[in-house]
Amino acid sequence: MANQLLEVKGLDVSYGDVHALWDVSLQVEEGAIVALVGANGAGKTTILKTISGLLRAHRGEILLEGKPLNHLSPQQIVDMGVIHVPEGRRLFASLTVLENLKLGAYVPSARPFFAESLERVYSLFPVLKNRQGQRAGTLSGGEQQMLAIGRAIMARPKVMMLDEPSLGLSPILVKTIFQLIVTLNEQKATILLVEQNVNQALKIAKQAYVMKTGRIVMSGRGEELLANDEIRKAYIGEVASKRKE
Amino acid sequence: MGLSVQALVNGILFGTMYGTAAIGLSLIFGTMRIVFFAQGSVIIFFSYLCFWAFSLLGIDPYLSMIPVFILALLLGAGFYYVLFKEAAALQDRISSLLIAVGLMFILENFMEVVWTPNPRSIVTSYGFSIITILGTNITLVRLIALLIAILATAGVFIFLRKTLIGTAVRATSEDVESSTLMGISPNRVNAVAFAIGIGLASIAGINFATTYSFDPKYGFDVVIKALFALTLGGIGNVVGALLGGIIIGVIESMASFYLGMGWAQGVLFVLFILALTLRPYGLFGGASQKA
Amino acid sequence: MSEQLGLARESSGFLKSLLRTSLKNRVYLIIIVIALVVFGAMPYMIGVDSFFIYYLFMVFIYIGVSQGWNLVGGYTGQISLGTHAFFALGGYTTALIWIHGITHTWYYFDPLLMLLSGIVPAIFAVIIGLPTLSRLRGDYFSFGTLAAAEVLRIIILRTTEFSGGATGLQLPSGGFTDLGIYYWTALLLAVLATLAVFIITRSRIGLALRAISEDETSAASHGINILRYKMLSFVIGSFMIGVFGSLFVYYQFLINPATMMTIDRWMFYPLLICVLGGNGTIMGPIIGAFIIVTLFTFGQNALGAINPALSKVHPMLSGLIIILVMKYMPTGLWGLKDKISPRK
Repeated sequence: MANQLLEVKGLDVSYGDVHALWDVSLQVEEGAIVALVGANGAGKTTILKTISGLLRAHRGEILLEGKPLNHLSPQQIVDMGVIHVPEGRRLFASLTVLENLKLGAYVPSARPFFAESLERVYSLFPVLKNRQGQRAGTLSGGEQQMLAIGRAIMARPKVMMLDEPSLGLSPILVKTIFQLIVTLNEQKATILLVEQNVNQALKIAKQAYVMKTGRIVMSGRGEELLANDEIRKAYIGEVASKRKE
Repeated sequence: MGLSVQALVNGILFGTMYGTAAIGLSLIFGTMRIVFFAQGSVIIFFSYLCFWAFSLLGIDPYLSMIPVFILALLLGAGFYYVLFKEAAALQDRISSLLIAVGLMFILENFMEVVWTPNPRSIVTSYGFSIITILGTNITLVRLIALLIAILATAGVFIFLRKTLIGTAVRATSEDVESSTLMGISPNRVNAVAFAIGIGLASIAGINFATTYSFDPKYGFDVVIKALFALTLGGIGNVVGALLGGIIIGVIESMASFYLGMGWAQGVLFVLFILALTLRPYGLFGGASQKA
Repeated sequence: MSEQLGLARESSGFLKSLLRTSLKNRVYLIIIVIALVVFGAMPYMIGVDSFFIYYLFMVFIYIGVSQGWNLVGGYTGQISLGTHAFFALGGYTTALIWIHGITHTWYYFDPLLMLLSGIVPAIFAVIIGLPTLSRLRGDYFSFGTLAAAEVLRIIILRTTEFSGGATGLQLPSGGFTDLGIYYWTALLLAVLATLAVFIITRSRIGLALRAISEDETSAASHGINILRYKMLSFVIGSFMIGVFGSLFVYYQFLINPATMMTIDRWMFYPLLICVLGGNGTIMGPIIGAFIIVTLFTFGQNALGAINPALSKVHPMLSGLIIILVMKYMPTGLWGLKDKISPRK
């Protein structure tokens, strides 16, 4: 087993009195794409928020390269190399593309490499370079998603956590985004991907976890789960034998 | 030139002071959703500081402005950490409003007890020289006040646009959670916003002290008008807040001229209520209209 | 416990639930009855003109005004900063009607007149409330009430022939002999005010108000007419405050903005009282009123005896108290008991 970059063990998280996560454990291998799938409200975003420090677990551990993240502030967690790209992009609409990217490199570990990171982002997304002076709110959906991911890259993360990057995008753009994720992974990025588009997510994931009402109910290699009839029936809608690729 | 034009000009000059106060309020509200009700009293507090520096130590107010400004920055950060940190984190509107009102009471009454309720004003030897521009007479101090206010506004504007921390302040105003995910520390940003807010209060305070007479209870009046300016200008809009202040200054001055001071205040407050009702997002349409 | 809450029941059901209530509540009830008897008998026990009676009189007035604010500020979460306006309006209504001899049946107080004195502020509340409460942003309501109060103050100060301006109006005096009647009236009204708030908040209306204060958008999506309920609590609260303003004027015989519209005493204190005692609770304003009035009546006298200048200190103290309360005890004193022994 290769190096487990990010490990979550036995996480219990509550929103006030509402218990949201039960004994959640997962591992993200270095250099892999790990998918976390499940229906709406299953708790996928909650896991990401706990890892990135917006929420506190009352039980369990989160380890990055063996170092605990549990009690660190969100700022420290980003500085250590975990970046969370939230659902719905959540860009700073009134700020320009460039300003958004600048803020991406805000943390001390990323700031010295700002110029270098910016070049990389612009070479991945030339359209962002063209629009760098434009307000982020005026970009199209696909461009905004690119900016969101570009912003994450600026932080020079060890692990990128993407929450529903394909949400609200046209089918062509969805393909582009997933292609982009694969490209990033080929460039040595470790990615934890939360998705409702189970089909596409499992196609590119090396490892995957399935969540239901706050628990991990299944895990395995991406291609295994993709072929699994139960999964297909529940989330994809067709059994494997009938599917034409 | 008619007296009414004179009133107009004075209104503009006076309005810049409301505007300066409003910008501070805007920053604090933008980042923390806190209505810093004590802003007016803080301004008057700084007016008193300058006044005493002038009366007791003979320091020219424009010289004392620098150290007072720095003091104000520190005081602002202090206010945040001591009083508002928890309320900001919980986004607790009621708490923060009440804490601000409590602070206002403390300041107001402290000043009244310690410095007496008698009105004060700073009168410098050169202050009343009159400059004539385009046929209207403007006293020198008023002109200086105008310039200072414009410079301060420009300074804040540049800070917000051109510095990284300023950009972080704007980002936090728009979306706190998102900026946290970027690794921006909300406490840092909030403290900066508060510091600048109080810093601007000190500048407004000096301007007030040199151009007008003030007393401890005046802060209440000022903050209501600053809130009005903020409402007109829209949250997050620095220039808008200044323009809003100018509009209010003009209305106040013109209404005073035609209706007398007492009714002028009434007119202002009624207009404030109307603005709240009809144009809550500002005349200029605030950049981010978060509830 | 769910019987005790009786939230979704109608008034008759409320009475039924009151009767078959738990032991704990019966104890509360007994304590309340004893307290009322004691307070009622107090003038006989220690003499009607004693300072203590005056002190209790002020406590009852503040309880009433604070309960009025509590309904809007505590239970519905809308911070009104215009309490002093309603108080003054109630007072001026009484004063003007009495002076112009329009209707007046009794010397010490007149129920009809007091009713009217409640209605006028209520109308004012409707006028102010409609535009400002329809906004989602609660701050706008707060500023709106504050600005409206100041407009009122300016109108009063400027229309000297009508309102007496800054010097105010003197009520037709006769022989003032007995503080007792004011005292008992205040006690009765304070009890009625508390009872009113109790009944309202235990009813369906109260449920809606709570929902609004916790999460407005969620409440709206459940079909609650936000504006109607906010207005209801605001108008009823203002009515109550106005009635107490009327009583206060009966006692004072003089009305002017300096005594009736002071921001410290009639805007901030009721707010402080509710917050200190426990926002959105029935007992909160009562506890708060006792503490604050004690603090500032006896405290002011004690400090004033040491040095007259010190008597100015107490508004600072009230500012300090509210900061400390909001930072360390945001649920107020009454809320502390829930923390010690959680009774969910």
